[in-house]
Amino acid sequence: MHTVCGMTALLETTNLTVSFGDRAGWFRPAREVLAVRSASIALQAGEVLAVVGESGSGKTTLARALLGLVPIAAGEIRYDGCDTATMTAPQALAMRRSVQMVFQDPFGSLDPRLPVGAIIAEPLDIHGIGSPASRRARVAELLGLVGLAADAAGRYPHQFSGGQRQRIAFARALAPSPRVIIADEPLSALDVSIQSQMLNMAAELRARLGLAYLIISHDLAAVHHIADRVATMYLGRIVEVADVDELFTRPAHPYTAALLAAVPRIGAGKWMPGAALGGDIPSPLAPPTGCAFHPRCPAASSLCATATPEMRAIRAGHDVACHHPLGTA
Amino acid sequence: MTEASVSVWQLRWRRLARDRVALGALSVLVLLYGLCFSAAWIEVWLDVTGVDTDLMSRFDPIDARHWLGSDEAGRDEFTRILRGGQISLSIGLFAAIGSSFVGTVIGATAGYFRGRVDMVLMRFTDFMLAMPALPVLIILAAIDLTKLGFSQDFVRSGAAGYWRIVLIVTLLGWTTVARLVRAATLSLVEREFVLAARAQGASSLRILWVHVLPNAVTPIIVATTLRMGSVILTESALSFLGVGIQPPSTSWGSMLTNAQELMASNPLLAVYPGAAILMAVIAINFVGDGLQSAFDPRADPH
Amino acid sequence: MGRFLLGRITGAGIVLLLKSFVIFALIGLMPGDPLDLMMNANPETTPEQMAHLRAMYGVDLPITQRYWTWLVAALQGDFGYSRIQHRPVLDIIIPALGNTLILTGAAFVLSTTLAVTLGTIAALKRGTWIDRIINLFAFAGISVPSFWLGLLMIYLFAVRLGWLPAGGMPRPEQGFGGMLAHLVMPVMTLVIVETGGLARYARAAMIEVLSQDYIRTARAKGLTDRRMLVRHALRNALIPVLTLVALQLGGLFSGAALTEAMFAWRGMGRLILEAILGNDYNLALVCLMFVTATILIANICADIAYTWLDPRISLGKRRR
Repeated sequence: MHTVCGMTALLETTNLTVSFGDRAGWFRPAREVLAVRSASIALQAGEVLAVVGESGSGKTTLARALLGLVPIAAGEIRYDGCDTATMTAPQALAMRRSVQMVFQDPFGSLDPRLPVGAIIAEPLDIHGIGSPASRRARVAELLGLVGLAADAAGRYPHQFSGGQRQRIAFARALAPSPRVIIADEPLSALDVSIQSQMLNMAAELRARLGLAYLIISHDLAAVHHIADRVATMYLGRIVEVADVDELFTRPAHPYTAALLAAVPRIGAGKWMPGAALGGDIPSPLAPPTGCAFHPRCPAASSLCATATPEMRAIRAGHDVACHHPLGTA
Repeated sequence: MTEASVSVWQLRWRRLARDRVALGALSVLVLLYGLCFSAAWIEVWLDVTGVDTDLMSRFDPIDARHWLGSDEAGRDEFTRILRGGQISLSIGLFAAIGSSFVGTVIGATAGYFRGRVDMVLMRFTDFMLAMPALPVLIILAAIDLTKLGFSQDFVRSGAAGYWRIVLIVTLLGWTTVARLVRAATLSLVEREFVLAARAQGASSLRILWVHVLPNAVTPIIVATTLRMGSVILTESALSFLGVGIQPPSTSWGSMLTNAQELMASNPLLAVYPGAAILMAVIAINFVGDGLQSAFDPRADPH
Repeated sequence: MGRFLLGRITGAGIVLLLKSFVIFALIGLMPGDPLDLMMNANPETTPEQMAHLRAMYGVDLPITQRYWTWLVAALQGDFGYSRIQHRPVLDIIIPALGNTLILTGAAFVLSTTLAVTLGTIAALKRGTWIDRIINLFAFAGISVPSFWLGLLMIYLFAVRLGWLPAGGMPRPEQGFGGMLAHLVMPVMTLVIVETGGLARYARAAMIEVLSQDYIRTARAKGLTDRRMLVRHALRNALIPVLTLVALQLGGLFSGAALTEAMFAWRGMGRLILEAILGNDYNLALVCLMFVTATILIANICADIAYTWLDPRISLGKRRR
């Protein structure tokens, strides 16, 4: 089905950089914003990787770059080991089929003018999978998978609740039998009670279909139960990657620690460094020098203001980009 | 929220049906179109003619046969109005649809591709907007088509005169729709359902056709309706000035040209065609206004 | 601001240049050429003379060359002659501009005042019969063919009642009264046609402002003085209305063409119609350039006025 270019992770980025610029006007120079800076992540087959960070950290842009929705300025994206920049058209199409997306806003991601059946069948339409009859059967099957009644196919998005709409979006993503689903804040627009239903459904489908998830979230608690590994992102950079339990018990980057401190947890009696995350995320138009986090970091030294820390392994499977990682003294 | 399956269009139709003014205007319009396009049967039924001259019955008064009397050439005024209406009303329809089509293509292209394409197309739109409309229309209407390589026979034919008006009114009338569609497209392409389709690798044409245009159709319909009214006014002005519909064809505007000279003796002949224009255009504008409020998204139950 | 203006003026200049070429080319496509007409006027012209004239006038040259010749002369202030009136084009245009300003200026002031008043009343009495009647009048104004309205007025007030002159310009000795008598019908026609759309626009703008939070807050806080409320809302509602008005200013010189023609008012609009319909190429061309230039200038003025009135918008910077 898919060409193997070399055995590596299923979906991987190396030093990925995405910039947004406005073109120079007649009387004005061009401006450039680096939304993602030299980010390297790897998603293994069947794995759940969560990317967390405040809004403005570039995580949504990272997801969109993976889907080819925004052009990349530098670095590379590999799917199944193949560089997307040099992919042949059939390879690119196969990748689009295999990497699906669920968006944040269940009210915005479904076309209000189309019946649900047509929305779910759209990937099949675009990729020319199956006959009209087999597509209808597939839609009914998918509606069952996400726990909706088969008659939903004939109704319109505005007739469903937020949770139901997110299930529809999920069914659409599942339609072409993908291997990866990238979900951008899939839960943030939903009520807490519905969030847990959705998480259970996602976990169950993953087990059944052998899916890998890349979940974008600002909420560490929400990803705790479903993620295998977590990557923390700050101002366009990946600053820490670790297995979920390791990250939750021994965060090495002060930023991760601060995010964790904001999470209400049962039995969290331990002292957490950097509990107070003061100030706002700086403007990506004028990022701080050195480590981008240093103006808000309780452990910052003069080194942090000048040198940008590189990613390095402090333990097996635990990488961090910090001059003074916590718990290493 | 999960009430019976009601599509957006059913909701809108219900809202429109509650608007008595719009509904009344719509009935007037349907009646007007119906009457005009049954002119041939009405002539047979009344045993009159709105086409052939009859010098024995000039300026006949109003009676059971001649519902509005007859004109200076002995033609029945009522059925002549209906015949003129065929031209005026159909030009209104065709040129309005044509303008909307051109405007939609240009607006959607500009809004979808953005960047330089958008800049060039919008400068072009501004360029067209700053044209002094009536004078340019007159020049276009007066252009000698033989200088563009058309044959004499074609140029003199009634069809050429008719389609020339449709074409020039279309060419100068698409700017409003282009701006509306561009604005709608610009906001629609940012919506996540368009991103979702793009992430699948959907072609630009598919995104425009399946996702953008159906969601932009509301302003297009309203603008097309309102445009019909202004097209009818423009056509009547051009024909009144003698550069529009040429005899032996007739439109409401060209009927007024003749009637103007007979104003002192037979003022009613100048009243009827103008009243027909006013009635048609006002009905169209009320329908357009009704559509606008029936389609108002703020009234949509979300 | 300076940069913005510079950009806009450069842009407008380019548009004007392009437009002059388009209109030049279109006029060239109208029936006949200057020499055909000359020959009709003087049937004794010999073929040799014709050939000589053709060469002299450059009729056979490609359109781009003819345009260049015209442009170079025009940029040096030489706009050429009117063929029908045998006078320099500028000598004809300037009095016509004056006449048009009198007519359309009067109509403009009246219709704007009337429209804002009616629109405000309709907005305040929203949903009542007053609102409906104003709405009906507005629709009638938008929908009526101006030349037909003029025709009916001439019949009623000039032919039947004999109260007013049917058209034409007042003679100098008729004084102010004569001017007024000649202005009544054309101004009325223009006011009826122009007020409708503007009144509906003013009504919508007023309703929008009245529904805004700060007005509701002011009401909730007990600001019950209706006049003050209206004054406050009106100031904000005027911003979009005045922008539209400024945009329409551009149509001032050609918009009244039909009305001027109906009432034989010697203004720009009528001059343009006569020039086009009478094959007076050069006159038509120069008139249209004048009109286009005023439209472009009005658009720039509208932009500037908008920024003055609404400090939230800054020139040249577009929101993303």
